[in-house]
Amino acid sequence: MKNLTEIEWLKYAVTKIPDGFVDMYWKKSGSLKIAFAILTAFFFGIIAKDRLYGFQFSDGYERTFNIIPYLMKSVVLFLMWTVGNWAVCTLLDGIGTIRNIFIYSTYAILPYVIHIYVNIILSHILVREEYIFMELTEFVGTVWSVILIISAIKTVHDYTVKKTFTAIFLTLIMMLIMFVILILFLLLIQQINIFISQIFTEIIYRLRD
Amino acid sequence: MKKILLIFLLLTVLLIPFRTYSAYNYNYRGNAIPSQTGYTVEKVAYFDLKEPQDIYYSGNNFYIADTGNDRILVIDSNIEKTVKIYEDFIFHDGTETKLKKPEGVYIYDDKIYIADTGNERVIVSDFNSVVIMEIKKPVSVIYSQDKTFIPEKILVDKSGNIYVISGNITTGCMMFSKEGEFIGFFGANHTERTIESIRNHFVGDKKKSRLKRNVPTGINNFDISRDFIYTCTVNSERTSDIIKKLNSAGKNIFSNKILHFGDYQPEYSESGYKSPEISDIDVSENGNINIIDSATGKIFQYDKNVRLLFIMGGISGQSGGFDGPSAIETVGGKIYILDAGKNNVTVFSETQFGKKVHNAVDLYNAGYYAETLGLWLEILRYDGHYTYAYTGLGYAYLRNGSYKKSMDYARLAGDSELYDKAFQEYRREFLKKNSGKILLLIFTVSGFILIKKRGKNN
Repeated sequence: MKNLTEIEWLKYAVTKIPDGFVDMYWKKSGSLKIAFAILTAFFFGIIAKDRLYGFQFSDGYERTFNIIPYLMKSVVLFLMWTVGNWAVCTLLDGIGTIRNIFIYSTYAILPYVIHIYVNIILSHILVREEYIFMELTEFVGTVWSVILIISAIKTVHDYTVKKTFTAIFLTLIMMLIMFVILILFLLLIQQINIFISQIFTEIIYRLRD
Repeated sequence: MKKILLIFLLLTVLLIPFRTYSAYNYNYRGNAIPSQTGYTVEKVAYFDLKEPQDIYYSGNNFYIADTGNDRILVIDSNIEKTVKIYEDFIFHDGTETKLKKPEGVYIYDDKIYIADTGNERVIVSDFNSVVIMEIKKPVSVIYSQDKTFIPEKILVDKSGNIYVISGNITTGCMMFSKEGEFIGFFGANHTERTIESIRNHFVGDKKKSRLKRNVPTGINNFDISRDFIYTCTVNSERTSDIIKKLNSAGKNIFSNKILHFGDYQPEYSESGYKSPEISDIDVSENGNINIIDSATGKIFQYDKNVRLLFIMGGISGQSGGFDGPSAIETVGGKIYILDAGKNNVTVFSETQFGKKVHNAVDLYNAGYYAETLGLWLEILRYDGHYTYAYTGLGYAYLRNGSYKKSMDYARLAGDSELYDKAFQEYRREFLKKNSGKILLLIFTVSGFILIKKRGKNN
């Protein structure tokens, strides 16, 4: 078919809506480097959205900066999607490897990532009354990405359209379960920490006497 | 030589004015920052008072509800000597009566209105202690007869209607006609809408009767100024309706604003923070709202648009501090605080800084933004962090046409709406100035793209 470079595959996959991912799949292309690049761009985009917006839209003042919420919103969320999808689709007779799911999903969220940066630039040019344009980019970015994700999942696992929606729905539930387990795990670690530190202080006090 | 220099240096220490309390204000984020005092103590006057609860100024005299001593004390306007004492009153038919723990006093139309709390009645008398009217517990369908009448504070509007705050009523203040007839309730606080109230909506009737009733807190104090009644409520768990500005229809003008009165909760440390309990309010001639926060003993002054101006007072033994501030009154440019714990009246008068701020704020609120420019800059020399000055300067520069400066000050003030306005004008100016260059840029860039595309196609 075609022989394109990786970046050109990225553009092709994102713009040719029904067939972009299919062609990519049969040509076995898709670069892990670009996937990671998009993920880091996503992470920085989420941070920049809170700090760098024009002042008329949002006040980016923070006395302290905590990176954990931003990590959770971008990287951890996306990784949970990938792992959750891989787990669920294995049970639903999907044929996608985790590498492919990761690559295709990052290619799919590219419009969303780009819209974040476009909005940041727009927020310095536009006035509050023209906020509709920023809402427009948000709408286009989100809808385009959603369509691409559906197409990506369909291609990577070779599903019918109906099964794709079932898979996506079950993936979301899986993400919720993973999130709950993550919180329980963190609580457990906290309890262990408290336990160990209490024993430690007891020992220290006994040693002193 | 060295010794003389040393002594001279030590003496200069005496030149530093020692303030009895630290002055602070809040920036737009709700963080406390050091500031200048707007008012200083001019005078503290002690009288033979006992737990006085109310003070009112009328006709060159101050009327103090001397609750513990069962009388109304009248002092002159310089807070120097007692002019008269009202203790015994005579009815028209000759019977005498005494006050018992009066908590509220008001003067209107040459009549003294006393909330005679201990005797569960309101007494209206003339200046010769002759009782004109006595209002006892109203017999009315809307007033449930098992509630005692505990009049605590009293107010009269310009039509002669009498408003009384009763201690156990949660449905607002009671309103009486000029003739003493009970008309109804006025200005009730709204209940908070919580999750429980939503759940209660779906509960059956039988269960509803056993549920805890969600009753609003009652009003604690009020003041009238230019036909608006300002009420305040003490309950520290409320988030809305703490201070209301009611018009004669009972509508709260402040209902659509998100307002915060008193201290803000510090961002990182909980220690030393007490939720504000607004126990008295007084609105001065030019619309400034003064409130007493009885939890911390501080006085907060806001302008008529509820922007914080000054904070003063506090619980302390020194002059300028209070033990239990019970009432506040403003006359001219001075603030009079009645202290029920120390039994004195503290008089605050404006400092230089206070005068300048009031001047600037009055002009600003009247809309003369450009004239306030020099005033705000002077104020910033006193207190470089005065947030109101930033907003004022933002608007002043906006009117002047210095849009970049206006944007900078809007950022400092945290006012994104002002920033939006200034940015709009700045952008328009920028485009007007640089339209030639921008068009050139667009043409060259599109030219490049077209040439590249044509090159690709070939």
